[in-house]
Amino acid sequence: MKVFPRRDMDRKAERFQVKKNYVAGAALALALAAGGGALYMAAHPREVVLEFGMFAGSNWDVENPNSYTIIDQAIREFEEEHEGVKVHYYSGVLKDDYSEWLSRKLLEDEMPDVFMVLDDDFNLFSSMGVMKNLDGLMEKDQDFDQDAYYPITLKAGEYGGHQYALPYETAPTLMFVNKTLLEQEDIEMPSADWTWEDMYEICRKMAKDTDGDGTTDQFGTYNYSWIDAAYSNGEQLFDMEGQQCYLAGAGVSDAIKFAARISDLNNGQKVSQEDFNSGNVAFTPMSFAEYRNYKTYPYKIKKYKDFQWDCITVPSAEPGKNSSVVECLLMGISNRTRHEKLAWEFLKKLTYDEGIQMNLFRYSQGLSALRHITNSREAEVIVLSNMESGASVISMETLNNVMENGIITPKFAKYQQALSLADSEISKIFDENGDIDITLKKTQRTINSYLKG
Amino acid sequence: MVFRTALLTINVIVILFIVVFIYITTEKIRIDYNARDFLGSVTAIPWNPMQNILRCGVLLLVLLLSFGLREFAFRGNVKIIGCSLGLDVVVGYLLIYYLDFNYTGILLMISANILFYLQDRKEAYLLIAVTVGGYLLAGHDLMDIRSGLYSLIDYIQYFDLPTQQLCLIFYNALNSLNIVLFAVYCIYVISRQRETIKEVNTLYDELENVNAQLQEYAQMVEKMTQTRERNRLAREIHDTIGHVLTEIVMGLDACLTIVDISPEKTKHQLEMISEVARNGIKDVRRSVNALRPDSLERLNLKFAIQKMISDMTGVTDVKIYFFCDDVELKFDEDEEMAIYRVVQESVTNAMRHGQASTIWITIKKQDSVVKLQIRDNGRGCKEIKSGFGTKHIQERIGMLGGTVGFDGSHGFVVNAEIPIRWGETYD
Repeated sequence: MKVFPRRDMDRKAERFQVKKNYVAGAALALALAAGGGALYMAAHPREVVLEFGMFAGSNWDVENPNSYTIIDQAIREFEEEHEGVKVHYYSGVLKDDYSEWLSRKLLEDEMPDVFMVLDDDFNLFSSMGVMKNLDGLMEKDQDFDQDAYYPITLKAGEYGGHQYALPYETAPTLMFVNKTLLEQEDIEMPSADWTWEDMYEICRKMAKDTDGDGTTDQFGTYNYSWIDAAYSNGEQLFDMEGQQCYLAGAGVSDAIKFAARISDLNNGQKVSQEDFNSGNVAFTPMSFAEYRNYKTYPYKIKKYKDFQWDCITVPSAEPGKNSSVVECLLMGISNRTRHEKLAWEFLKKLTYDEGIQMNLFRYSQGLSALRHITNSREAEVIVLSNMESGASVISMETLNNVMENGIITPKFAKYQQALSLADSEISKIFDENGDIDITLKKTQRTINSYLKG
Repeated sequence: MVFRTALLTINVIVILFIVVFIYITTEKIRIDYNARDFLGSVTAIPWNPMQNILRCGVLLLVLLLSFGLREFAFRGNVKIIGCSLGLDVVVGYLLIYYLDFNYTGILLMISANILFYLQDRKEAYLLIAVTVGGYLLAGHDLMDIRSGLYSLIDYIQYFDLPTQQLCLIFYNALNSLNIVLFAVYCIYVISRQRETIKEVNTLYDELENVNAQLQEYAQMVEKMTQTRERNRLAREIHDTIGHVLTEIVMGLDACLTIVDISPEKTKHQLEMISEVARNGIKDVRRSVNALRPDSLERLNLKFAIQKMISDMTGVTDVKIYFFCDDVELKFDEDEEMAIYRVVQESVTNAMRHGQASTIWITIKKQDSVVKLQIRDNGRGCKEIKSGFGTKHIQERIGMLGGTVGFDGSHGFVVNAEIPIRWGETYD
């Protein structure tokens, strides 16, 4: 049997003892550190910073001096409700630069937890997985009822059947009417369910040479194209994913023919912004935001001061089916957020809180996407109080109908280019007197290959 | 080893190239303020390129460490090698995952290692199936169906055309080199295996030959031994019986000649013949003894009796005393056997029938007689009955021309007297 020499065994025992001491020491140090840490944490709770991505100014391309007012208030309230949470945003990013700014943040892996997303970016970000799928959060939240939103605004934040963003603010397209001109020509204001034919009739009466110089100088419409006609007829020009365009349908063809008829009334004259500003045009499509902006002090004095005007629904091919394009400013949550719950709460604060949404009427130009806010008496009072006194104003009931029957345009990146391409191809039809249906089929093929390319 | 190092090096370079290239390109995109345009041209991006470099770097270090363990630290330790290969598979798949399936060549390297280390084991096939199957299934083109994977090509395409070409050439060259090296390595391993099989076959054939030779040789040796043994027997017979018989025949012939002339001389002659015959018997006996294979292994009598006694006292508490005045106690074998058996039988009887607690054994030599006495302190018996083992004893002693007596009045006593041959005159 092998026996360790006595000294060796002692040394072993000693070494073991030393090791044991080390272990005990380390454990003690660890316990002290943990305890200290816990105490420190208790005394100084760690501050959670929620990043918010937004652009300055208005989403509706109108001047807005109060772009931070609502956000600041939302942040203030949110920080009060959630102790130890700070919300931070970068001010001064313009809408034109916002897309690049957000993309850079994405590349830097510093995507804000909650952020505004532009129409052109929404599909891309959703498909890349940048935006959090909100389905689960919406489902789980007992205090959240998605039926409170106008369905079309909610649909604007959908991608591939899932909700990726919620509408913060919305604005439908309306039809501007020069009331003074209509009165001059002894024409009644159109009703809310007016049709293309009604519009054509008015435009026919409007188009004339008032100063007798041989050229038409009073016009029915400015800036009204087949696209407006098609959308007001409830046509979808593209699928939502931006893979397919639907130009060859009968509805589009009708819209083009109608727009051509309206255009023909002008006797080949191009209607300019100048004609419109000087009160020689009866109709032009206009966003609700523009309507509110130029109806309220101080901007109303800058434009259209020589005539009375108002906004009504857009005309449709058949009576009562008047549908407006509804635009939305969407907000979403980053898929990479480390504070999912807080981000959801903040998103809800911005898009679902009654106080904040009501402030849209005070400090912004759009509508709330929440039905009960837009429909409320308080909202109506706010809108009315800013308007010139005595002027007839679009009724909130009509507005509500417009929102309920609204349609949305797709949000893929190539949308604007594809639409311009279609527009230029279709304007060739009138210049060259081509066959509409054949040209539409050809154009549809061209645009489809552009979309897929 | 050179192959495996080369494969590892290529894979490390390719993976580092991918992650670092993506990082550098991302930085360039940011500096160029082209982020939105770039995003519009891709389907996905790695969330954090720097983190990706770190992750892949750590995984590559693990791979290097595992390689080192196999090749240097634990060569030949099957368990550790198996573990390190398993680790490689896991790390390989993690790398593929973090690289979003942009590069799967790492699996080829892992397969090569498995092929080398586990050629003959069942696990090897499983691991190779997992890796090669993964290589085929995890290709970026195939996985691209599932959206949300970033592509190195998208990043390469961000640069101008000459740079794109340069990057693609570099990347594809490394990729191809990886595949070619893997293929060459597989061929190398397979051909080496085939060579080994050939070598084993050759060795087997040689072994067969040698075995056959050995069998022949063994038969030859057996025959030779038989022959030699026969020669020995023949020689012994010739030397002993032949010699003696010749002398006897010649002596008897002489007797026949002189018997009528001189009976006195004839008598003397016959005595001489008798002497020769006696010597002959002795020689024959010696020869037979010498030919007996166990002759050398036989114990001497005294030692055998002592052993028997110690065996018996070992299993019972009977005391046995053995007195013997002759140191040598060397007799012919049949005599020794008889004495041994008589002692054995008597001791057994004393214990079995006499219930004795002490037994005395005495062997004495007086002139040419061996006196043997076995006495015990047992019950004894009034009448000596045959069948108590005494009959055997009588027979044995009788065969040697000796006498035996029994007395059962005080304990039991066996007295035997055996005339021994070496005491005889013809010695």
